[in-house]
Amino acid sequence: MNAPAQLRRKRDNKAAFLFLLPWFAGLTLVTAGPVVASLVLGFTDYNLIQAPEFNGLENVRRMLSDERLHQALRVTFSYVCVSVPLQLAAALGLAMLLDRGLRGLAFYRSAFYLPSLLGSSVAIAVLWRQVFGAEGLLNQVLGLFGVEGRGWISDPRTALSTLIVLNVWTFGAPMVIFLAGLRQIPVMYYEAAAVDGASRWTQFRRITVPLLSPIIFFNLVLQIIHAFQAFTQAFVVSGGTGGPSDSTLFYTLYLYQRGFNNFDMGYASALAWLLLLIIAAFTALNFWVAKRWVFYDD
Amino acid sequence: MNDGMSRRSVLTLALGVGAGAALAACGSGGGDAGGEISAEPVTLRFTWWGSDARHKRTQQVIDLFTKANPTITVKGEFKEWNGYWDSLATTVAANDAPDIIQMDELYLSSYAERGALLDLGTAAKHLSTADFEPSALDTGKVGGKQYAVPTGLAAYAIVVNTDLLAQYKVALPDDATWTWDDLKTIGAQISKASGGKVTGVQSWGFDTGGVNIWARQAGASLYDDKGDVAIPPEVLASFWQYLLDLTRQGITPPPSVTIERAGAALDQSGTATNTSVFGTWWNTQLTSLTAASGQSLKLLRQPSEARAGSPGAYYKPSMFWSISARSQHPAEAALFVNFLANTTEAGDILLTDRGVPANTKVRSAITPKLTDADKAAAEYLGAIKVGPAPRVTPNGASGIEAILKRNTEGVLFERQTPQQAAAAFIKELQAEIDAA
Repeated sequence: MNAPAQLRRKRDNKAAFLFLLPWFAGLTLVTAGPVVASLVLGFTDYNLIQAPEFNGLENVRRMLSDERLHQALRVTFSYVCVSVPLQLAAALGLAMLLDRGLRGLAFYRSAFYLPSLLGSSVAIAVLWRQVFGAEGLLNQVLGLFGVEGRGWISDPRTALSTLIVLNVWTFGAPMVIFLAGLRQIPVMYYEAAAVDGASRWTQFRRITVPLLSPIIFFNLVLQIIHAFQAFTQAFVVSGGTGGPSDSTLFYTLYLYQRGFNNFDMGYASALAWLLLLIIAAFTALNFWVAKRWVFYDD
Repeated sequence: MNDGMSRRSVLTLALGVGAGAALAACGSGGGDAGGEISAEPVTLRFTWWGSDARHKRTQQVIDLFTKANPTITVKGEFKEWNGYWDSLATTVAANDAPDIIQMDELYLSSYAERGALLDLGTAAKHLSTADFEPSALDTGKVGGKQYAVPTGLAAYAIVVNTDLLAQYKVALPDDATWTWDDLKTIGAQISKASGGKVTGVQSWGFDTGGVNIWARQAGASLYDDKGDVAIPPEVLASFWQYLLDLTRQGITPPPSVTIERAGAALDQSGTATNTSVFGTWWNTQLTSLTAASGQSLKLLRQPSEARAGSPGAYYKPSMFWSISARSQHPAEAALFVNFLANTTEAGDILLTDRGVPANTKVRSAITPKLTDADKAAAEYLGAIKVGPAPRVTPNGASGIEAILKRNTEGVLFERQTPQQAAAAFIKELQAEIDAA
């Protein structure tokens, strides 16, 4: 390599670092700093106003006997395990429908994508409360058919389901990714399969799923992480309580309550790290299982 | 993907705020509360909770004050009760607390014992407390220091809609002699007469007033002097049993309606929307309720008071004025609190919205100017027989209403028995106190 080229590369590197600087500053100051601080706070008793006091593993000990934490874990696991598969199924179904060359595809794609832009916003959560309230839209529609509804959100038996429906409704983001993935599958495979007399179901099972599996996997990992961290919907819909009767007490909501309602930031920091570990474990499990079903065509 | 407020942002928020507060805790305090009023322009932030009627009145008082003190700007930040405390905790932790804070008895110890509030004794130069009765001032003391000035007094009451009573041809009960059983009977008559459209009673069990009254009528109390939970489980269980009976018999709305209303603003309550005839409220809420309801509302004494061994009723300091310990302008903040608490100009506007004024001079000055609802609230306070005030909510127990609400929900939906709720409530509340 000659000297001028080396020089140019050095200059390029400098420019690259310069452009990276804002991101790097953001990472260290806004993300990494607080992350490290929270790790330290996780081993303290800290009431937000006075200086933190180191208390060893006391916070971990509390977690074992904290019944509301266990309830929060139950709620969050049910939410993740039910809403993520449903959401991905809806996304894949719609993506396949749209992939068949509908007229006005761009419009439908945008229309279906819209909810996922709005889904975790406060406005939609407020709307949800109106729709599923005791005197809400859903019950009025049901009333037209003579069905007596209930307060879906204020009833502990159905409150979590309304939030699951809300999450499923925001299938737009994975749908767009599925759609892009479907476009990558060569049409000739389907043509060949059709010539051999494969049914649509067989084509789906033998061609679509294997060739789309990396995309399914990607969406699965992302949405699981996303679902574990759900907060806004439950916060707005339950007014920050996780109620009724703790039936929508998401993990992050409980964390928030400990930190800000009960001035218990040391414990809340420990809870944040537990959530990180849980998500890391789930993601690792996901990658491990993926070896058995994800097919990379390369 | 789409990130409104989810994912990292929640954690970063929680963690970032924590780290910020940790740094801030090492920083300096505010200015000097006994210093001179600044000649330079100063901006104060003032936060309160309440209804629309209160927001309007408070803004008028702010305008009066800034007219008289042109160098001082006061920015009001008002919220609903439910969001108020989350927001206050967050801003205090972020070292961004408003200068003047409307405080409640539930949270006074929690904030004062953690050093978040200014000792108003240091601001005596600008803030006088001479026109307050010592017993009223004592309610704002924690550990012997005056951290808060009471705005007024309030007492728990039953609000009855007399227009609806007339509509369903039910006689107004005599509140000198009535009992909890009477309330049940009358409530059932109304629910039956309206076909369920209007219920006799609006369920309670979401604020500490109701449970305090119930405990005190049984000769017990929520906390002992040391600040530990002292209410016997069987008393608490009978409280929830009563509420459960009302719900089962349709005297109160179905649980889901009750829970929705309890979480909503005052304007959406059964009393304000004229969909429940009897409701438990603080006497001072009568003004806001009357404005929202548009019908004729009346205050009644608690049932069974005449028969109780000791009166359940008590005077609660309705709320307090306090100043952030980290305020950059404590002298100016004290001047503003002085205006709120000690001047008849402010009193003339605020009237009884924040309780019948605890400042005796202001109280006598405004009495002739009260509207009917205000007058009724003031008269109620004089008419009831009260016992000694309950102990101030101990540090750590400020979450009591969340615990109460959760257990009431569990009972109303019959996910737990009143006995189980009582045991769970006592255990959890005591654990919070122990942890603080």
